[in-house]
Order: sequence, then C-alpha cells, then structure tokens
Amino acid sequence: MNTAFTDIDPVLFDYAQKYLGRFMPITREELVELLQYCEIRKFDKRTIIVRVGEVDNYLNLVVKGLIRKYLPVRKDEVILQLATEGHVVQSEISFLTRSPSMVVVETLEPTILLSLTHDKMEEALDKFPKGERLGRMIVSGMYIKKDENRYNRLSKSTRQRFFDYIDHHQHMLQRVPQKYLASYLQIKPETFSRLKALLSKRQK
Amino acid sequence: MLEYVRQFISQHIELTEEEFQTLASKLHLVSFDKKTKLVDIGDVATTFYFVLKGVSRRYFYRGKQEVITHLIKEGGMMGSVISFITGEPSRYIVETIEPVTAYSLSKKDLDQLYSTDKKWEKFGRKIITAFFLQLESQILDNIRYSTKERFINFMKHNPELVRRVPQKYLASYLEIQPETFSRLKHLIVKEK
Repeated sequence: MNTAFTDIDPVLFDYAQKYLGRFMPITREELVELLQYCEIRKFDKRTIIVRVGEVDNYLNLVVKGLIRKYLPVRKDEVILQLATEGHVVQSEISFLTRSPSMVVVETLEPTILLSLTHDKMEEALDKFPKGERLGRMIVSGMYIKKDENRYNRLSKSTRQRFFDYIDHHQHMLQRVPQKYLASYLQIKPETFSRLKALLSKRQK
Repeated sequence: MLEYVRQFISQHIELTEEEFQTLASKLHLVSFDKKTKLVDIGDVATTFYFVLKGVSRRYFYRGKQEVITHLIKEGGMMGSVISFITGEPSRYIVETIEPVTAYSLSKKDLDQLYSTDKKWEKFGRKIITAFFLQLESQILDNIRYSTKERFINFMKHNPELVRRVPQKYLASYLEIQPETFSRLKHLIVKEK
C-alpha cells in the first residue's frame, strides 16, 4: 500500500533530503511541501515494476534497495542500469514521451521508492516554487550520468572498466549476481570471472 | 534567420512573442570556417549553438582514434553540453565539418535568464531533456539493432548526412568498423 506523507518516517525524510540535496540544496520546509506531490512505494525483491509495452508513469528515487533496468534483445537481455540508494530510475523515454516502454524495470532486493507520477510532476513543476529548477537539475544529473557511462564504455578497455567500477562499487559484488554485473559492464561472463580472480590476487 | 530558430525552439517549448524577443536579444550570429574547433578537450564550454547552416561533429579520443558521438546539422543544437552545464573541463571536441553559421547563446546570458523567470528554467529543462532523449535512443538503438540494421536505418533517415559527412565519420558515429561500413555500402548500391 502506498503511504501518504502526513506522518512520514523521519528516517525516510532524511534520506530524501540527502538524495534530493545532490541535485539542489533543499530546506526542510521545501521538502515537506515537495513531498505532498510524492508517494512512497514498497516492493518485494524480484518484482517487475515496468514491463515492455507499458507506459511508465513514475519518476523514482531509490530510498532503499536495488533495481535493475534492462533491454530484452532477442533471447538475451542487456542491463542498462543498476540503481541503488540515491539513484533516479525509470523507463526514461517512456516516461518523458508517454510512449510504450522498450525496457524492463525490476527490483532485485526489497525496495523503497520515493515516486512522482507524471501528472504530479507537471503539477509540482508548475506550483512548487523551485519545481522547474529542481526538474532541470534532475534531468541534467540524469544526462551527465548517462553520458559518463557511455564515455567510459567507449573510451576504456574492458579491464580498466572492470577495475574502475569495482573500485567505486565494492558492495555491488555482494549485492548483484555476477552475470548481471557482467552484462551491465558489457563484459563477457568468462572475462568477468577472470578479472574477478585477478581482483582477489590484487587485494592480497 | 531568427524565424528558423523560433521554429525549432517551438518543437521543445512554446514561447510568447515577448519571451522570444528576450531570448533573441541574447543570441549572436556567428560563422566558422570548416574544420574549426569550437571546443577542445580541457576547455570549459561557455557557449551553446543553434545551428542554421553546416554540419559539425562532437568526438573524443580513444588512444589515437577519434570516437564520434554526435553529428549536428541545421536545426540542431550543439555544444559540449556537460561542460556547459557543470563548468568542468570538456571531454569532447566540438568541430565543424563544413562552414557553419549559428546563433550562439552564452552561459552567462542563460544563467541570467534562469534568474529572471522560471519559464527559462523550463526552457533549459526541455532542451536538456531533448539531449537526454537523443542520447538514450542512440544507446538503445546500438544495442537493439544489428550493425546492418543500424546502417540501413541511418541511411534511410539521414540521407543528407550520408551525402555530406565523410564515410569514416559516419562509421565511427554508428560504432561500425570502417571495413564493415564499406561492405554494407556496396550492399545498398546493389539493392538499388
């Protein structure tokens, strides 16, 4: 069941302030006002929250948990994003252009999302005083992240990509099945295993 | 020529006559020779362009190899967008292929617009959203489609670029090996 924000959990409130603060400084009062437009959604692990062909109606910030977004290709799937706490996740093209999703969004862990429907987003952009600014900051942040990922994929060697990622996301090795990490990094599973073996040698 | 800018901005956001005039007062008409670098790696990009004429490319280096991420023709928007947004050094080179005419907008003027009315924040959001959507489509297409499909789709939808842009640039943009690109091009000719 989705929760209203009349009696929001202070822990969730602090998370929301911290994560939204990455896009733009936001006061407690502003956050209280902004949260009127949002809802909290909770999902079990392994729940598909957007299917191919559906129009994604939500912009989500991960408060807790882990989500994968993937593109089914022929009989395979390619992981485009592994979203953890503080990340924005959605089927972006579907949400922004109101078109059927090409990608699947699925939880891997029990997940709590701070979510905004498309209608509520339009309302908040219009009525919340800093709404347009926050909207611009969020989409800029999404663009910067996506561009950086592509840049890394095109400019770095497989090996470098692997070590850079693991250095910055140690915890993901525990949280995510190896084949998903390999798919996300666009590294062949065998190569991934070989690099992972090098990793334990390096740490010794 | 401003009419042309009005037309392509209206695809992203509706501006009143007064708003458009405010924007127009910030735009400067600029021209560049072919093969001019507008932004180099390490520069902080402070200018954004609405292109009226001419083709340009945006690229970076992998070792000694150029990797083209963008081809921009008339009606397009160009710049090292992330450097422009963040004020950090550019990872990309923005360079003209043909002689280019464009309207430029400076970051200083855009920031000033942002501070006057939230309509301009919306304007900024819509423009960045357009860049975002283009990037995401490009990423998904590169995964969804085979090399041959990518090649054919591009040929079909961008006949002008095919005519005007050197083949090695097209191959790099499509993430297709130059030899494969040549082979595919023969296929197309045969099909005709």
